[in-house]
Order: sequence, then structure tokens, then C-alpha cells
Amino acid sequence: MDRRHFAKTVLAFACGLAAVPASAAETVTLMAYTGLFQDRYTQAVLAPFEKANPDIKVVFAPQPSSGAMIGQLRAQKAAPQVDVVIMDVSVAKAGADEGLFVKLEAKDLPVIDELYPNARIPEIAGVAVTFDNLVLIYNAEAWPTPPKGLADMATPAAKGKVVIPGIPDIQGMSMVAILDKKNGGPGVEGKFAKGIEAMEAIAPNVQTWEPKPEVYAPVIAGQATIGVGWNARAQVNTDTSGGKMKAVIPAEGTAFQINTINLVQGAPQSAAARKFIAYALSAEAQKTFTETMFYAPTNAKAQIAPAAIDRTAVKSLDKVVPIDWLAVAKVRDQVAEAWRRKVIPLSR
Amino acid sequence: MSATAGAAAGAGYAADQQSGGGLVIALLLPIALVNLVGFLLPVVNLALISLQEVQASGAMTGGWSTAKWVSVVTDDFYWELLWNTIRTSLGITLATLLVSYPIALYLHRSSGLWRSVLLVMVISPLLLSAVVRTYGWIAILSDQGVVNSVLKAFGAAEPWRLMFNLTGVTIGLTEILMPYMILALVAGFGRLDPRAEEAAATLGASPFRVFRRIVLPLSVPGIALGSLLTFVLAVSSFITPKLLGGGRVFLLATEVYDQAIVTLDWPLAATLSMIVLVVFGIAIAVYGRLVRSIG
Repeated sequence: MDRRHFAKTVLAFACGLAAVPASAAETVTLMAYTGLFQDRYTQAVLAPFEKANPDIKVVFAPQPSSGAMIGQLRAQKAAPQVDVVIMDVSVAKAGADEGLFVKLEAKDLPVIDELYPNARIPEIAGVAVTFDNLVLIYNAEAWPTPPKGLADMATPAAKGKVVIPGIPDIQGMSMVAILDKKNGGPGVEGKFAKGIEAMEAIAPNVQTWEPKPEVYAPVIAGQATIGVGWNARAQVNTDTSGGKMKAVIPAEGTAFQINTINLVQGAPQSAAARKFIAYALSAEAQKTFTETMFYAPTNAKAQIAPAAIDRTAVKSLDKVVPIDWLAVAKVRDQVAEAWRRKVIPLSR
Repeated sequence: MSATAGAAAGAGYAADQQSGGGLVIALLLPIALVNLVGFLLPVVNLALISLQEVQASGAMTGGWSTAKWVSVVTDDFYWELLWNTIRTSLGITLATLLVSYPIALYLHRSSGLWRSVLLVMVISPLLLSAVVRTYGWIAILSDQGVVNSVLKAFGAAEPWRLMFNLTGVTIGLTEILMPYMILALVAGFGRLDPRAEEAAATLGASPFRVFRRIVLPLSVPGIALGSLLTFVLAVSSFITPKLLGGGRVFLLATEVYDQAIVTLDWPLAATLSMIVLVVFGIAIAVYGRLVRSIG
């Protein structure tokens, strides 16, 4: 390339940049879970939003967990690089207490009035964007007669084949809370002692308390045959494994896990971010995402296809054990201590 | 030399020494700056985080408290955790030394192209992430892995539980840390003179006696360096114990992760990290003393 040609190229490039409309610079950064969630959320929510709002681009910043997200937000507190965060409700409470998020209110975002009452949690700044629930997952080849409840994990058929994400993971905590309720425990007041006691029967059969990358893979592969997981991911894995893995709501009951959507304090693209949050909570986006990944919707007006709604906990609300995660946080250390001293040693 | 000339020479020497000292300071300044920004300030910050107050939700709202230090010092679980970490890391260091020593000695004694090929083979695992190598071990050690498939072919009814326990962590970490040990041993074998071995053999010493009286004592500096490196890396290893431990093997590094990422208790995670630093400090002091005693 000679000097004249090079100069022309540079000039053309500069003109090209100048020709880009200023509105195209609006880029909302969304921080949420990596992997399956990222794939499905991009397809079901981000793509239609960008199509309807060509002046806004949403960049997905994936993180493996809510804890990792709060770490990023703390580090960026002085100069946030993220606009919107989807994270677990208990971690969102910590973010709200530290002033990392802007309080979302119906007067600014009217769509909030369309949400179920339990999607609006006074102690947190954001609102619920998905509901999920604990399920019993099993390998259909190893369990020709499907297991019914968590108690099946204590039977000889499950020896060395149980996978449970243990405490401090909230799946382990949910399981303890469900078993505590089933065995007549008072819950938080009794520090879930009855639940811990019930876990002692299951612990000797546990293969791993740290299934990696997730609990579903070892069950599909047959390395393990039974465990607990979250409904949304379990439903997708049921489909993608061709039915090798299946999921049921345990006879003892299930528990909700709430993902919240939050606007970051000092978000670089605050106005566009609010627009995105409004869309993510809308009946349209909630319908699409539920039908794509089987999270129960938080928008009461979402008209979900019956085939999809049947695969969520919406029709089994009577089986949901209510857990106040914010109250659980106050006794978490004591429960974790009991877990380490009474449950883990029985699995060694 | 006259008194005047001597005084002038003395003054010149002092001036040279002064400018030399200035040069030394100037040369040390960049590394001192890097250490200050990259190590000292983060450690001070970590110490400050360990003294922050944390709410039940995990929120850090600015108050100061020594509660985490008190709870760590007074809770048996954390003493057990510390002891478990040290014991496990020492066991892994010993296992790594035992399997690495013959390889390193063979590598030291080989020459030419073969030595280069061997060296590349030793270093090549370091080109792969520990995560990938750990997943490789999962494929080998799981119930349906290579080892258990072979055992099953020979009639074993039940799979041998090789992972999701301390056995798996020890096997995985030993392999992952071997390159560091081998390289340290090879570097330490510099004092090993083949003529000393030949002389001992000529005087009638058996191969085992030559090894015990000549080779082993002369390779102690390499053993000490390799052991220090391996021990420090084992104490701070997180991925392999997390993946192969199955939630049963509690170590300081995995606990730091759980507290920081899962329960959001950053002050407790910072307190445990400071304890890890103290363990490193003790290991380096022991190493320094050993090296000095070797002379």
C-alpha cells in the first residue's frame, strides 16, 4: 500500500466512524448467569428487545454466580461498567444494603404493577424477574420406577449415586428447609435442626456435594443417578438429554428461588437500562422466556402456553415451602456449622 | 602516597560510593514500586477487609470489627481446617517428591536431544490450565473412568472410589505440581558431580549406598526448593480440591472461595487469606533455615 492509498483508507475509515449515528452508541451492559441462562436469555429476551429498539444494543456480561457478580459490582462501585444485573434475591439484598442498586418503583416503571405481589420484595432495590423451584432429578435408565421424593435418596438403590450441591449453596439450604418443614421443624427459629437431622439419613449415599460443572451432567452421564436441581435447567436438560434425565417435584415439597433484576447505581446508560428492564418484566418477554427455559413468570399478565406452564411450579403452588431467604441469611452460619459437623462426616 | 593525595583519593572513593549507592537505589526503585503496588497495598487492603463489619446479608456497610478474627481463633473448625490444609499439603509435597525424584535424576543424567525432548515433556503440562488437567483426572478416576473400567473388566463388582475424596485430591494435585518439583530438583542437582559417584563405586559402595551417601545429601538443596514450591502451591490450590474433593475435603483455599463467592463473607475470606499468608511465611522461614544449615 503506497502512502496516498494509506491516507485515503484512513480518511475513509474516519468518515465511516463519523457517519455512525450518535444513538447507536447506547449500549446497555447486562450482567447475569453464564452458560445455559446466557444462551436462552439472549435468544428469548435480548434479541427481540434489540429488534424493537434498534438504537439500543444489549451486551451480555456473563458471570458464574451471584457472588461473583457482587464482587464485580463492589470493585466497580466508583465507576460502574454494568447497567443491569440479574442475580439471586439473597445476594441482591447485600447489594441493596450497600447502595449498589437504584430502587425500582412503579411510578417510574409502570410494569412493576403487573408483577405478582411476591415479586416485589421491600428489602431489595430490584424486583423479581424469574421464579424457579427445587426439583428431584434422576437418571431414567437407573430409576425405571421414578423416585417420588427426597427420601428416595436415602434408600439402598441410591448408594453412592446421590449428587447434591451442599450448603453453602442454596440448593442444599433449600433441601434442608424442605425436610425441616416435612419433619415438623420450626424453620429459622430452630435453625433447621430437623432438616439437618433428616439429611443425616441421606448423607452416607452422597457421591459429591460439589457437582461440577452442574448437577445435571453426572446424572445424564450415569455417574450419579439421583439428585436435586433447579426446575428451569432440569427441564432444558431433560429435553437435550433425550429423556435420559427427568425431573419431578419432590413429595416432601419444593422451594422457590427468586432471581431479581436490578438497576446499578450510577449506571452509564441508565435511561436505556430502564427501558430494557421494563421489557424484561413485560408480559411478552416473560412469556417468551418461560416458554424457552421454563422459569415461572413474575408478570401476572403473561399468557404462557399450557405445555410450558405445566413444566413450571405454577400448578404446584400448594407444594411450595415458603422460605424467607433474608431471615435464613441471619442463621446461615449456624446451619452451615451444623452441616459441617453432622452431615458431611457421615458422607466420608 | 602523600597525605593530600590520600585524602583526595579517599574523597573520590566516597563520592564514587555515594553515586554507586544512588544508582543501586535507582535500579531498585522500579521493582520496589511494583512490589508496593502489586503486593504490599493489596495485602494491606486484605488486612483492612478482614477488619470490616459484615451484616447477615453479606453487606459490608463500613463499620470496623475484629469479630472475624475472634471467631476464626476461637472456633475449632478453623483450627481443624488449618491443620488439615498443612497435613494434606505436606502429604502432597511428599508424594510429589517421591514420584518426581527419579524422573528429575534421569533427566539430569541424560544429554543431547533426548534431554531436550524430556525437558519439553516435563514442561508441556504447564501449557494446559489446571482446570483442564483436573477434568482429565475426572475422566480417569470417576466410577466410569479408565481405572474403574479396567478393574471392572477384571471382575471388580463395585467401583473403587478414587475421587470426590482426599485420594482424588492427592492424585490430581501430585500430578499437577510435578513439573515444578522436577524443575526445582534438576536445578538443585548442579552440585551432583558424577566423579564423586564413580569414586564411591570404585571404593566398593553398592548403588544404594552411593545414592544414600552421595546423591541424596548433595541433592538436598533441590529437594528443599522443590518442596517449598510444591507446598506453597498445594496450600493455595483451589480448583483441583474443589473439583476432585467432592465437598468433603475442606482446605483453606476452598473455604476462602466459599466464604467470598457463595456466602459473601468477605471479611472472613480475608481473615483466612491472611492466615494462608502466615503459613507461607512460616514455610519460607523453615526453608531459609534449612538452606543456611546446609551452608
